[in-house]
Amino acid sequence: MNSHETESRILAIYLNSRGFGFAVLEGPDRLVDWGVVHVPGGNRRRTLSKLAVIANRYQPDHLVTGHPKKSPHRGVRVRHLLTAIINVASNKRIQRTGLSRAQVRRVFSKSRATTKRAIAMTIADHFPELEPRLPPVRKPWMSEDTRMAIFDAVALGLSLLLLHDL
Amino acid sequence: MATHYLTNYLRTYRKRLGLSEDEIAFLLECKSGAKVSRHEHFGREPSLRTALAYEAIFQVPVRELFAGIYQTVEQNTLKQIRTLSEKLQASDPPHPRHQRRRAQVEAALLTRLINIDHKHE
Repeated sequence: MNSHETESRILAIYLNSRGFGFAVLEGPDRLVDWGVVHVPGGNRRRTLSKLAVIANRYQPDHLVTGHPKKSPHRGVRVRHLLTAIINVASNKRIQRTGLSRAQVRRVFSKSRATTKRAIAMTIADHFPELEPRLPPVRKPWMSEDTRMAIFDAVALGLSLLLLHDL
Repeated sequence: MATHYLTNYLRTYRKRLGLSEDEIAFLLECKSGAKVSRHEHFGREPSLRTALAYEAIFQVPVRELFAGIYQTVEQNTLKQIRTLSEKLQASDPPHPRHQRRRAQVEAALLTRLINIDHKHE
């Protein structure tokens, strides 16, 4: 590889009820940025504008999200947003991919991680910088920690890298 | 598929250390994190002193922290080296007194060209 170039840059987005988690990867071993963006009320326009800011900053080659048609467990709002994000990506000429939860689980099952928590722990092992963001074990009466969206986004990014051999 | 580097990777290294923009600003002897934020969001290029301070904080060479800027500077410099080398070869042969110096300059330029090309392979 030319020293002027790095591996393809991937922007992974995981939508949830409070906004979205994102991760920017340059190859499977380099996590460039990560975070959670809160969008009060789940406003669609605000979500898309915040996403556009991140996409403009990092100029990704690939955008990966959950699959809008293979995510029956996701709410109508999230599924519509996923479709809108895919449209935005195609306008910006970014290659986009939707991965289902089953595809992500299949990738991580090779390292014996099948639950969300186990996948998050595998990711924290791989990227020690994420370890402080690992939420505590979730009890049945607790709602999901917002920080989990970061791990879901990284899982999407890594799955894309492994499945498509980028 | 390969892509070009980002202008800088300050945000990546800061987050790896778990420091806030204000904390980095304190280390850089700045008033607030706004300046750090502008550097991280590619809004402004830091001065040489600040860039070296970033290297001291993150323990990462400046050329890696500012990979995108380094890439542009290196490409431009390479172009200039080639131009100067061609100019020297095309010019009249120097006075015998200056021949040794000319040979030295040409050899130095050639070494840099070979080093840079070798790195890109």
